[in-house]
Amino acid sequence: MKWLAIAAATIGLLLVPVLFGDRFVFVFIQMLTASLFALAFNLLWRHTRLLSFGHAAHFGAGMFATIHLMRLAEANVLAVPLPLIPLGGALAACLLGVVAGYFATVRTGTYFAMITLAVAELIYALGSQWEALFGGEAGLSSMRLPWAGWTFATTGEVYYIVLGWVVPAAAALYFVGLTPLGRLAFAIGDDETRVRFLGYNAHRAKTMVFALSAFHAGLAGGLLALVNENVNYGAFGGTVSASVVLHTFIGGSGVFLGPVIGAAGLTLLGALLSDVTRLWLLYVGAAFVLMMLYSPEGLAALFIANLRLWRELPWPSLVRLNLLGGLAVLAFVCTTVFVVELAARALTEGASATAVVLFGTTWSLSSPVTWAIPIALALAGHVALKAAIRQRRRLEDAVA
Amino acid sequence: MKFGVLTAFAMTAVAAFVGTPLPAAAQLKVAVIENLSGPGSATNRLFAVGMKNGLTLVNKAGGWKGQPIEYLEYDSQGSSSVAADKVRAAIADGAHILVSGGSSAVAGQIVEDVRKQNLRNPDRRVIFMNVGAEASDFTGEKCNFYSFKYAMNAEIRVKALVTAMKAAGALGDRVFSINQNYSWGKDMEAAITRYAGPMGYTVVDKVLHDVSKVQDFSPYVARIKSSNASTVITGNWGSDLILLVKEIGASGLKVQLGSTFLELPGTLSSAGASTLGYYTADFYLPEAGGAAAKALFDRYKAIAGTLPTTSEVKSVVMAQMLQAALANVELGPKVDTTKIALALEKAKVQTPIGEISMRAADHQAAVPLVVSVVSKDASFKVDGTDMGFKPVKVIPGPEAISAVQETCKMDRPS
Amino acid sequence: MDFFVVSLLNGLSYGLLLFMVSAGLTLVFGMMGVLNFAHSSFYMLGAYFGYSVGRLTGFWPALIVAPLGIAFLGALIERYLLRPVHRHGHAHELLVTFGLVFIIDELVKLLYGNYPLKNPMPVELSFSAFRLFGLDYPFYRVFIALVAIVMFGAILALSRFTRVGLIVRAAVRRPHMVEALGHNVPMVFLGVFAGGAALAGLAGVVAGVFYPTGPSMAQELGVIVFVVVVVGGLGSLEGAFVASLLIGIFSSFAVGVNWTLADAFALVGVAGADLWGGAFTVKLSTVAGAIPFVLMFLVLLLRPAGLLGERQ
Repeated sequence: MKWLAIAAATIGLLLVPVLFGDRFVFVFIQMLTASLFALAFNLLWRHTRLLSFGHAAHFGAGMFATIHLMRLAEANVLAVPLPLIPLGGALAACLLGVVAGYFATVRTGTYFAMITLAVAELIYALGSQWEALFGGEAGLSSMRLPWAGWTFATTGEVYYIVLGWVVPAAAALYFVGLTPLGRLAFAIGDDETRVRFLGYNAHRAKTMVFALSAFHAGLAGGLLALVNENVNYGAFGGTVSASVVLHTFIGGSGVFLGPVIGAAGLTLLGALLSDVTRLWLLYVGAAFVLMMLYSPEGLAALFIANLRLWRELPWPSLVRLNLLGGLAVLAFVCTTVFVVELAARALTEGASATAVVLFGTTWSLSSPVTWAIPIALALAGHVALKAAIRQRRRLEDAVA
Repeated sequence: MKFGVLTAFAMTAVAAFVGTPLPAAAQLKVAVIENLSGPGSATNRLFAVGMKNGLTLVNKAGGWKGQPIEYLEYDSQGSSSVAADKVRAAIADGAHILVSGGSSAVAGQIVEDVRKQNLRNPDRRVIFMNVGAEASDFTGEKCNFYSFKYAMNAEIRVKALVTAMKAAGALGDRVFSINQNYSWGKDMEAAITRYAGPMGYTVVDKVLHDVSKVQDFSPYVARIKSSNASTVITGNWGSDLILLVKEIGASGLKVQLGSTFLELPGTLSSAGASTLGYYTADFYLPEAGGAAAKALFDRYKAIAGTLPTTSEVKSVVMAQMLQAALANVELGPKVDTTKIALALEKAKVQTPIGEISMRAADHQAAVPLVVSVVSKDASFKVDGTDMGFKPVKVIPGPEAISAVQETCKMDRPS
Repeated sequence: MDFFVVSLLNGLSYGLLLFMVSAGLTLVFGMMGVLNFAHSSFYMLGAYFGYSVGRLTGFWPALIVAPLGIAFLGALIERYLLRPVHRHGHAHELLVTFGLVFIIDELVKLLYGNYPLKNPMPVELSFSAFRLFGLDYPFYRVFIALVAIVMFGAILALSRFTRVGLIVRAAVRRPHMVEALGHNVPMVFLGVFAGGAALAGLAGVVAGVFYPTGPSMAQELGVIVFVVVVVGGLGSLEGAFVASLLIGIFSSFAVGVNWTLADAFALVGVAGADLWGGAFTVKLSTVAGAIPFVLMFLVLLLRPAGLLGERQ
């Protein structure tokens, strides 16, 4: 069953350039690199419970190293096949990871988070000053060179390079968890003192996990650099570090593929919606906080908990439960989006606004219809939620 | 009744038939890629607003030989890597012309992407029209046949500013250069240094500081004081300009100040009366533009609801440049961007303060500038304050434009 | 000489502002173990609340009302967002506040717009305190310093010499014992969090009329404030005080100094480093913003608990 799902997903991914136009293939590329980045970030958190707020440093290092290698290749200094170049980015990020990780992992918890934040800020500050290495405001650019009959000029070819790296790298990250190092890292995350008393060098293990995480973050960055053919020091910026945190925890940090759900889902939604709403970050932030409150293990945990129920309970009642829950969530999301977008548009128009255009319709701010819609939606959501809760109780009672 | 409906239908059909040109011409699509939601979007998005309204005005005036031009909008979030995605999205959506202006980083990304797109897809070339990114690289090392710069640059601004200030007796002979530490600020610093000799001042000290990160400018004011400067010249914008001006005002330091972005919305209202008597150089229409500017503003207000800011006006004028160029390009079943680019090189538009034209050698536009001084006598008050910009000198485009940079090697279509 | 004195004074007043913002952050961390990512967002909200209230009532009532409003907001956040995730550990509390940053930032932009507001200083405070080497020293800087020092004194007195302070300090060390003695420990935590938020709010009201009140306020100060509390020692009020002044003065002086890394190499006898270019020719004044981070590294490496922090 599990292997069937993996095979189906792989075939689906292979078919993307055949099925979709260029625009969506690029969105898929973004989803893939964001997913790998989130998986790399979560290697550190899921195993060793180290929360990095500066992973953009490694992502950016991978991007810059890759661009530099591409430029060398362009200048005929270096003859490396293009598809292999992101590996150089990964190695550069890994090197940075060894150094930064050595210092950062001396501490844990909040101090660790602050050190990683400071590393990223420091590199960001340096990035804006050191023009020879980081290209200043305009950044560095290069061009993909043909190799072995491939020109890499079409989106499809680039997509396959990215896919060819992301899938094995993700698999490698999964298997790291099964190695002795991965097991040790899990133990460190649980109780570091005890691990040390057992005679292990916890600091060395943490540094190694950190470097591995940096390696894969750098690979993700390198792939993106290969796609964009341009990078500026904004790659080290706080928004990059923040987005990987949001992706990972919304998707679910406790399950291996959780970060992928978050990264791919949010990247896709972002690509579709960021030209529609100006408040994209507000929704993401709210989703994040709600997730932390009601399902700290993210979407993936909800999904798995649900999956477990399917094995134990009769399916008609479960379908009803899921439908009711889904309806409730949908109704609440619609209410919020409607009210917030209405308010946003009314506020930009100024105090004199009487009517607002939203979803292609004009809504009068004084009309009862305009306000009846969110109220009705919220009520519907409330009823559905109540019904869902009742249904769940009944099911729980049945099991007990 | 039935007859009435049928007649109406038939008449509409006839009208539609007569109204549209016979061979269905391909629609020209202009895609604005601008920072609409990221940090700094407050000022950057004005370029997009202006372009949207500018194209509406152009379409009202007949568009491209009667055919309307389509406007598309993409949010770069102020990040060059997001901008790269949006360039692809825009091209996939069929855009022929890309427009951006808010940030040199984003514009740098677009210039590169356009170059690569045109190299790889000769049958699907796109044009980049840069309305506000002023880094001089774009007409130097990065100059490209398909990329047009309607923005000014540091050299143009500084030359106009110091010339007019000198003529008004406000320049002094000891200049302090303070700028933001990125391409624009560095260009400004270089230009300020270059004009020291010709304009008879010495640069007593120069400093580059972090962009939008400095909270407290008092140390810089202390440094200005200890340099004993008579004039401060700065290319700062946004909070970096507001804070600097406020701090100079609060310290009671008596210096003259020349700048380039005083008229961005929010600047005068935040910096307050400290700005009185300060100079700025920009493409600024009110007062100097007279009745023609008022007419343009009224037309703009009729569709937008508000008067345009300077950034919006720049976009509107650029849309007019595009229309002027399109008047010399035949409509066809396929949009030929090379022909449009060739026409853009020759297009001219008469603005209220003088003519704008495009220099073919490096695709830098010759934009007329107004050097003005912040004053309570200005007839056009800004930002809800009692202050405005009183024109001191209008510099025509050909006089204002900087020399072609040696680094520009443009491959022209054969 | 005049540059030295002026820079020192400016550094002191900026440092004291930093202290006002970081005091609440370090207190909350000391008591609850939560590093509040949204703390500088409270600072920004303080400025905006102060602006809104000030338009109705004038500056002085706003100075009291706005921080109370922020305290109430802080209390709500602690009760309904932080307490429910407390059992998942500090990392989750940290993450909740991290998410709040986005929500607050976006809401502020939504409600107040993208531009800096016109938030002028009250006329009775906008005069020159004294004249120094030909530069006026604005009285408002003195006012900021006074507020900060009064705040420092009040917090110290409150925690050292009052019964409330005693209970709070005890609740940090031995929460269960304090609870067993009949005190409401969750209430104590709620009060501390609200108090910390109020301090940030107060700093916001005070700073909002001097520095621009805009949607990027929180971002501009955010990371620096973290650096201050880490350098001072997480949870140490006195440490935050020293670190704030240190960073304030450092950044003030760095602006006027044109040293480069190459100069430093020349000092120890390696001449010609400036020919290597790149980082070696970057002037100290242009990287003034990076200095706090370097300081933070040094402190973490040499004295990991911070300047005045307790060893854990």
